[in-house]
Amino acid sequence: MTAVETTDAAVPVRTSSPAPRRAVAGGARRRRGSAFDRLLPYLLLAPAVIGILWLIGFPVVSVVVTSFRKLDLGELVRGEVKWVGLDNYTKVLSDPRFWEITVRTVVFTAVVVATSVVVGLVIALLMRQLSTPIRILLQVCMLLAWAMPIIASTTVYQWIFDQQYGILNKILVKLGFDYAGHSWFSTGTATLSVIGLLIVWQAIPFLAFSLYAGVIGVPADLYEAAGIDGATAWQTFRAVTWPELKPLLMMVTFLSLLWDFKVFTQIWVFKEGGPSGGSTTLPVLQYLEGISQSHFGVAAAVSVLMVVILTLLTVSYLRKLLQTQEGKL
Amino acid sequence: MNAKKVSANVVAVFIAAFFAFPTYWMVTTALKPKKDLLSSDFDLIPSSVTNSNFVTAWTKPGFLQSLGNSLLVSLSAVVAALVIGLLAALALSRMRFRGRKGFVMLMLVAQMAPFEALLIPMFLMMRDLGLYQQLSSLILIYFAVTLPFCAWTLRGFVNGIPIELEEAAMVDGCGRWGAFRRVTLPLLGPGLVATSVFAFITAWNEFLFAKVMVRAEDKETLPVWLSGFQSAFGTDWGGAMAASALFTVPVLVFFLIVQRKMVTGVTAGAVKG
Repeated sequence: MTAVETTDAAVPVRTSSPAPRRAVAGGARRRRGSAFDRLLPYLLLAPAVIGILWLIGFPVVSVVVTSFRKLDLGELVRGEVKWVGLDNYTKVLSDPRFWEITVRTVVFTAVVVATSVVVGLVIALLMRQLSTPIRILLQVCMLLAWAMPIIASTTVYQWIFDQQYGILNKILVKLGFDYAGHSWFSTGTATLSVIGLLIVWQAIPFLAFSLYAGVIGVPADLYEAAGIDGATAWQTFRAVTWPELKPLLMMVTFLSLLWDFKVFTQIWVFKEGGPSGGSTTLPVLQYLEGISQSHFGVAAAVSVLMVVILTLLTVSYLRKLLQTQEGKL
Repeated sequence: MNAKKVSANVVAVFIAAFFAFPTYWMVTTALKPKKDLLSSDFDLIPSSVTNSNFVTAWTKPGFLQSLGNSLLVSLSAVVAALVIGLLAALALSRMRFRGRKGFVMLMLVAQMAPFEALLIPMFLMMRDLGLYQQLSSLILIYFAVTLPFCAWTLRGFVNGIPIELEEAAMVDGCGRWGAFRRVTLPLLGPGLVATSVFAFITAWNEFLFAKVMVRAEDKETLPVWLSGFQSAFGTDWGGAMAASALFTVPVLVFFLIVQRKMVTGVTAGAVKG
């Protein structure tokens, strides 16, 4: 999970006033407390930092180290350490299936992110035009989608898209289309389309809500000025809404990339990456190699490559984000 | 202008229906008697209603057990992450010390870590620790997933509370701990609730690690149990929908309490560029 900044950015960071506090503590206690005072922040941070280094830092190092080892079930049981250099990477990278899966994952992520961000933006802009009861209705309905646990929504979608008794096929038949007994999961692309719809459906509410918060934050006099200048709706959007919304839009796109690239649950529960591997993405490949087939070294190489690809996709924004956050401190 | 407003509202109603439909369908399917489910009749509106699917789901072997496991794992992880994250947040927000900047960046970077990519080392690590097949492995992992988020988010909430309030309490004779307990902690309440709910939902939803780390049936969490529901019970869609609905309710209640607070929260630091 990720949040980048949580309270209003306008709230000043109040870290620069330890002086009055010490003054309050008073003369005699000051000297006694000062060593403790100096240690206190580190004591407070210690559990969190130890937790992070142990449970995140160590696995990060370990995944890289493991990717240079041959580690199958045999080696694991015997506790044997067998270094194979770049063999795992050569094996993965020379497999045409890996490239097929990588392209599929990137395309899938791009389509899902682009669709959900664009539709989310459109809904955010639409919400401004609505009468209050309709807007609340829309918000409540989006909240229902957002709040549904992933496994629950995946199960519901499977039922809706069920070949025999699914309501979607029934509706299509009712509308006069020949969809009786139509299977929505006959190919990998078809399966991924349904999964993509599910992910987009569940991703839009967050995007629409946050972009709507941005839309209503645009100063009203900017719109008035545009109106006085006789701007068309499109011109107003380009000249007023877009520049105000762009930082927020980039932020939610970045978060969506992080979230959608590593989707596993929905893909696995629908068809376990099938039919015949047609909906397998990188996280599924990692699971199949590592957990199903116990090729831990190869799977670790896949994990490392996954992170490399995700970093490449987000690097320009990531750099900017880290710089800005560092500047704020 | 008026016609434009009307059409916007009409479009919005259709969009609302699109978002609400799966929930509607989940609930109505759960309420339908079994014989109505596996029929080719067009049944958008249920003709008769029963609670038998809920009874089926509730009494299915494993449901209560996995519900208990899910609650245990999620709550333990979130409480630990919240307490430890709050301590870190107080240090990062209220104190000045060498290396502060580095620690703040550590929290920021840690919460962007793609956990799914750490599946293999986590699995190996839990195995080495003897925690494979133990629910405690999941507690540790969910703690790690939610800790940086809690620390980072709570730091933001603490930043929002003026330090002058604490100082005033100290002038009035409170110690540092007293000032924190009587002034900062109550003001932090809503932030703590919002943070813990989001962390809880993350743990409540988690599937991949729950599937990999514990394979024994009596240690399954609810998502894993629910994913196996269909293979085990074939076409019992009524039962599956009732179980899904029961799984959704706690999250929905929490969500309604805090969503307004968090929507602006998660993205407020957007980068100009």
